[in-house]
Amino acid sequence: MLGPTIALLVGFFVVPIGVAAYESLFSWDLLTPPRYVGGANYAALAAHGQLLNIALRTLGYSVLVVAGTMTLGLALALLLDRPGRLYAFVRACVFSAYVVSWVAVALLWMWLLDGNGGIVGRLLHVLGAPPIAILGDPRWALPALAVVGVWKLTGYAMIIFLAGLQAVPRSLLEAAALDGAGAWNRFRHVTMPLLAPTAAFVATTSLVTSFQAFDVVRIMTQGGPARSTELFVYAIYEQIFLDLSVGRASALTVVFFVMLLAVAGLQLRAWRLRGQP
Amino acid sequence: MALAGAAVKEGRGRTALVLALACLAAAAWLVPYAWMVLTSFKTLPEIVADPTAPLPKHFDTGAYHEVFATIPVGRYMAVTTVMAVAIAAAQILLALPAGYALAKLRFVGHRFAFGIVVACLLVPAQATFVPVFLFFAHVRLVDTMTALVLPFAASALGTFLVRQALLGVPDEIIEAARMDGASEWTIVYRVLAPLLKPTLVSLFLVSFVFHYNDYFWPLVMTTGDSVRTLPLGVALLREQGTGVRWHIVMAGNVVLSLPVLALFAVAQQHLVRAVRARS
Amino acid sequence: MSRLARRDLLRASLAGLVVPSVACRQRARPEMRDGRVVVTFWYAYGDLTRKVLLDLVAQYNASQARVVVDAVHQGDYYECLAKLRTAMAAGAAPTLSHVVCEVVPYLARAGMLEPLDAYEGARAIPFVPALAQGGAFEGGDHEPLVAIPFNRSTPIAFANAHALQEAGVRPPRTWDELESAARTLTRRSPSGEVRWGFEVPISWWYWVAMVGQAGGHLVENGGRVTLGGEAGEKAIRFWQRLVREDQVMRPPPGRDYQAWQSSNESFLQERIAMMWSSTAFVRYLENNARFPVLAAPLPADVRASVPTGGTMFVLMRAAPDAEKQAAWDFVRWMCEPEQTIAWSTRTGYMPVTRPAVQRLIERGWYASHPNDRVAYDQLGDVAPWPWAPDLFRVERDIVEPRLEEAVLTRRDAHELMDEARAEAQRPA
Repeated sequence: MLGPTIALLVGFFVVPIGVAAYESLFSWDLLTPPRYVGGANYAALAAHGQLLNIALRTLGYSVLVVAGTMTLGLALALLLDRPGRLYAFVRACVFSAYVVSWVAVALLWMWLLDGNGGIVGRLLHVLGAPPIAILGDPRWALPALAVVGVWKLTGYAMIIFLAGLQAVPRSLLEAAALDGAGAWNRFRHVTMPLLAPTAAFVATTSLVTSFQAFDVVRIMTQGGPARSTELFVYAIYEQIFLDLSVGRASALTVVFFVMLLAVAGLQLRAWRLRGQP
Repeated sequence: MALAGAAVKEGRGRTALVLALACLAAAAWLVPYAWMVLTSFKTLPEIVADPTAPLPKHFDTGAYHEVFATIPVGRYMAVTTVMAVAIAAAQILLALPAGYALAKLRFVGHRFAFGIVVACLLVPAQATFVPVFLFFAHVRLVDTMTALVLPFAASALGTFLVRQALLGVPDEIIEAARMDGASEWTIVYRVLAPLLKPTLVSLFLVSFVFHYNDYFWPLVMTTGDSVRTLPLGVALLREQGTGVRWHIVMAGNVVLSLPVLALFAVAQQHLVRAVRARS
Repeated sequence: MSRLARRDLLRASLAGLVVPSVACRQRARPEMRDGRVVVTFWYAYGDLTRKVLLDLVAQYNASQARVVVDAVHQGDYYECLAKLRTAMAAGAAPTLSHVVCEVVPYLARAGMLEPLDAYEGARAIPFVPALAQGGAFEGGDHEPLVAIPFNRSTPIAFANAHALQEAGVRPPRTWDELESAARTLTRRSPSGEVRWGFEVPISWWYWVAMVGQAGGHLVENGGRVTLGGEAGEKAIRFWQRLVREDQVMRPPPGRDYQAWQSSNESFLQERIAMMWSSTAFVRYLENNARFPVLAAPLPADVRASVPTGGTMFVLMRAAPDAEKQAAWDFVRWMCEPEQTIAWSTRTGYMPVTRPAVQRLIERGWYASHPNDRVAYDQLGDVAPWPWAPDLFRVERDIVEPRLEEAVLTRRDAHELMDEARAEAQRPA
């Protein structure tokens, strides 16, 4: 009954983490025999602050995306929580971005943000901004990727918030209205506290998803310019496929996994504490 | 759908504002798609001359011809569909007995097994790919359908959701089936599965869409052309190294997105429900 | 597969996972189709170059019945190389592919490439010396022959002839002339749009060209990696000056070949007046520009110097013998005058054999296509690559990220190069 599932899960999800930890102690390029180097991979990654930078960038990107999707998702949920075909259509539009492939979204936004012919650039120019190639500027490339992430994931947040909103008992809202509370106060004192668990859930899952971002980096910026968009998973990918350094890739994997656990754990703990009524 | 937000009457001005904002939201999501489609109908000289011109001069299908000439769209689409269906089907087939065992059967190590399932919910494919790739390389299965399907055949999420759903099923049904002489397998697949149909359909759809769209795993697990998936093929359109090919890339994008958007239009309810079920 | 069998396979393979295996397994039997040997050929071009290649492959397949070449597209050079190496490790490598010069020594040392000396006619093909392994690498003649020139190029300068005429500027012949020409050609409109005087992808290849022009060598005699020493720093500072102080150059966005693509786009859209790119794009640019395209040799500083570029054919040692022989047949066919002429006239890459060049001169090709001649004329100034297995790692891991950093941030060139040298001199 349970056998195949457990075997597959253990084999493909649990064991590889252990193996990665083991292989992070070697230097191996797949073509010649591996050499034991102990902690040298970790040391090399920590040198020049490379590992720290990757971690900070990934965290920064994730925080931006989570903040964006939650704010926008909640706002859209509140805005579009109405009957009628029009609102249903708008909801579908927003959610559709969540359903298409990251490849499609990344290629599309690459074109929109293109320094030479992208309409975003033209729009910014019309609004008076200096002409810069967004994806070619180390200061703006990562925020741009975060915007793309928000565009894709907001639909997900919106759907979850909609479900949460619908779980708010109408009687409570009506009672508050009868007590004279305006729309904003009703939202703050009735809806928001009840939405806290939903918000926690959205935040955690969005955070974990953004932490694993790869496709958008690989397609749009390949880690550049000047490493400003080198996120964890892309760095692992580069180490093994472009630099052929299995040991470094494994070391990065181990650090990535530990951080992922920490982030998910902390986030959940923090919200659980806050969410207590 | 029961609505809680609009419980109080609002003025006309407010409604107009909401309408305007809703249209703005729709535009933010529709305009990029529209731009994608419009670009796909332009020609190279047009894009070189005036990249941000709103409409193409004529609706030129040259870009689509080029896409179909450059990559074997039909073959890639078939491979991708087969792979996604295989994964989704395998996940359902395995999640049912596993969820049943965790929900209804009592045995030694029951908590431990559940712990493993929950733990695996946190491990992304991005963390495991290096050793898994090396494993498949060792057994010469890189660049095969097995490497694409097998690692995902068991779904921690699917197992978890089936278990949750089955916890709500009264034990009497199972007892009755057992007394009728049904084997455990029959109970799982003949008795319980139909009860869980909405959950299973949603699971299938979400899994199908996710793996159809997947770029990372096929990128890592394939080297040649034999089991290349459509997202990879379309992404390759970008890596050409000469110059302006945005009309071709966008045409490829349209080809890539249409099936999924069509599926979304048809099966919207199920997908939304599946996404919500996780919360 | 039954549950038990699956678990056993898993357990057995786990053992194999932890004990690493070396990848040099030879496949025994050649792949056959309809009685013809199948040669899998992984290539890394797109667009125009891809069409030309596929036309030639189709021509070859139709011209004989012993071999059929299966060409598979794999992205750009780096992507293709990455897949090649992982495929080698996974025992799924193709028979034939092509790689950039800089990685040939590394692959040769790793034992991945088939030595070609014993193959029929290998040493007899009348290659243009600077383009073959012997001329492309210092001491390349002393190494076993493993690479055959395929699409070979040098960097050249392109200019918008109208823009130059309008500004009364000649194609620059020295660095100083380049700087002043770029200043003259940079136009800023009141609305904030800029027509840049000059652009070049911030890429290893062009930096190596400049190092040579400034009088430096990547590797000194004795094998010490100096990365050009002073010359290396001078080259970076020149770029920094053009971007920061003079503001006549905008670093093209995108990494690797995205940046080259972006430069080409900008050039065609007349947003830049001059650029450095590869002779490979001569035909593409000429065909798609709305203005006359002028090609010129790269400017000199202390001297004129260019590296060679493009790729060389390589055969994988792990392929079955019959497939290797078949692949060699194809490679030799590609080196015949008519084929290399077709290849180079349709793209802009250089013809690789002397008889081919002779024929083109006789046919008056260069008279009617002067831009094609520029790369060939620069061959006298070629600086060969060192035969250093570490060269590719130096390029990708050490130098290229720092070039980007130098131009896009405010780091000092000397500091960066010191770091780079230190890293390059450490064992991998």
